[in-house]
Amino acid sequence: MNPSVDDRLASIVRALADIVLTALPDDAGLAKEQTQLAIGHLQILRAQLDAAPAFEAEELSDARALGAALLADGRGGSGTVEAMSALHATLDQPVGAEHPRQSRLRITKAIDNLLRQMAIDGDQGYRAKAADVLIRMQTERSKKDRKWFSLMGFDSDI
Amino acid sequence: MTETPILDMEPALQALFKARAARRAAPPYSARKTAEIVEALKRFFSAAVPGAAPEKVMRMGGGASKEQFAFTLTERDGKSGRFVLRMDPLEAITETDRNREFQILNAVQGIVPAPKPRWIDERGEIFGRPAAIMEFVGGVTKPSGAGIKVSGLGTWLGEPLRSKLRKPFLDNLVALHAMDWRKAPLPSFSAPTADPKQASRWGFNYWKQLWREDAIEPVPIMTYAEQWLEENLPDCEELVLTHGDYRTGNYLFDEKTGEIVAMLDWELARIGDFHEDLGWVLMQIFGTFENGKFRASDLYEREEFIAAYEKASGRTVNRKSLHYYDVMSSWKTYVIVVGTGMSVARAQHNHQDVLLTFLAATGAMFAGDLCRLLSQREFV
Repeated sequence: MNPSVDDRLASIVRALADIVLTALPDDAGLAKEQTQLAIGHLQILRAQLDAAPAFEAEELSDARALGAALLADGRGGSGTVEAMSALHATLDQPVGAEHPRQSRLRITKAIDNLLRQMAIDGDQGYRAKAADVLIRMQTERSKKDRKWFSLMGFDSDI
Repeated sequence: MTETPILDMEPALQALFKARAARRAAPPYSARKTAEIVEALKRFFSAAVPGAAPEKVMRMGGGASKEQFAFTLTERDGKSGRFVLRMDPLEAITETDRNREFQILNAVQGIVPAPKPRWIDERGEIFGRPAAIMEFVGGVTKPSGAGIKVSGLGTWLGEPLRSKLRKPFLDNLVALHAMDWRKAPLPSFSAPTADPKQASRWGFNYWKQLWREDAIEPVPIMTYAEQWLEENLPDCEELVLTHGDYRTGNYLFDEKTGEIVAMLDWELARIGDFHEDLGWVLMQIFGTFENGKFRASDLYEREEFIAAYEKASGRTVNRKSLHYYDVMSSWKTYVIVVGTGMSVARAQHNHQDVLLTFLAATGAMFAGDLCRLLSQREFV
């Protein structure tokens, strides 16, 4: 048996909370603040750890879906057409052993390139439709991301 | 390789970007030790106020951008006062200029309560990094017992504080916007008078330049929002002095009386459009929700704030301009927390990397805000 990542993180949290934090002098304000924040951050990482692979796989899946949706009915000048081809090729590219984060990044870059080309020579109707698609799909994506980070305590509306 | 030129913006801010480029490849930054600051203060005051002795130097907590130390200075004649040293780390979550901050603090004295600036080491010749020293102001940024909140986000004031703080919060903003900046001693500030869109363009370009330099990866909704902002730059009908970060969490108040004793964090102040400050005040992250109702800075509901501002200032809020600055506020906050904050943390150029990576998790909220705002068809 090997010590799990969670066991190791839990022991780090305990060391920071029980030993380091209590040993800090009263006037070590920044050190106390940062230790407390580090403890909180580690606790959240522990809570997210098991779900992280599924979360990143879903991020990739959503990026793929966005790319595919943006390609539907695409029209425009040579820059837009070229960017569409590049996005198409990226979506078709076999993932292999690549980490989902890397695959998502490749797709996101291709999507971004298409958005930038569309602003230059995209068909206006296509651009408006693409904006609707982007906003609709990113609304759903941001809800998932907000839920993922809800333990941070910023988001009083989720 | 040809260098991409810095976008069109206030000349002082362009200079800031040039100076920043030279620091980007620097090795990691370490938080300054109190003992180092004590020595630097002694050196500084040996020239600035001969015979004065700095003592009781203490690092101050809070904030997400500058290194801050409180200290007491006793002069040769026995006169003593408490001061705050506010100093740049190598890089910060916001890229700003201590000299501009010094000038604006000086200019608003007697108009809006603000810490009085006293001395500046503009080029960091003594402190190693640019630093300004201002008079210490007592007070709190959140009620005692409010718990630990990062950087005053979502501060719950509750009653009776809320009722007491509402009016001064509004009055100070109105007073700032009514100030005659043309007569103010602001040599580092330039007025965007070339054309009606220059105010919005300068503001937009400053944040676009930061995103261009700091984005770790492309973010499609940010790209779309950037295009929208560029294509919808509003005219500015009246140039005013804007604060740039006006919200609960950025003022000190007396907890007993509810008096605002100082507005803080003036580093993003500029000559621009009053709608920019209104859009920032109305950001959801700086407010609270109760029973599904949003209160900006935990003080005003949205429409209530707009109506109160119109009544107190005599101005009419242009809803299309306000919408633009609503979008701008969410977009630029994403630039701050996900772009600059993360870039600076990765470079280890700040003393609070762990705070910066924590704050970056708010990015999802601003992405959600951008989607909500950009789908409001009545404005788009």
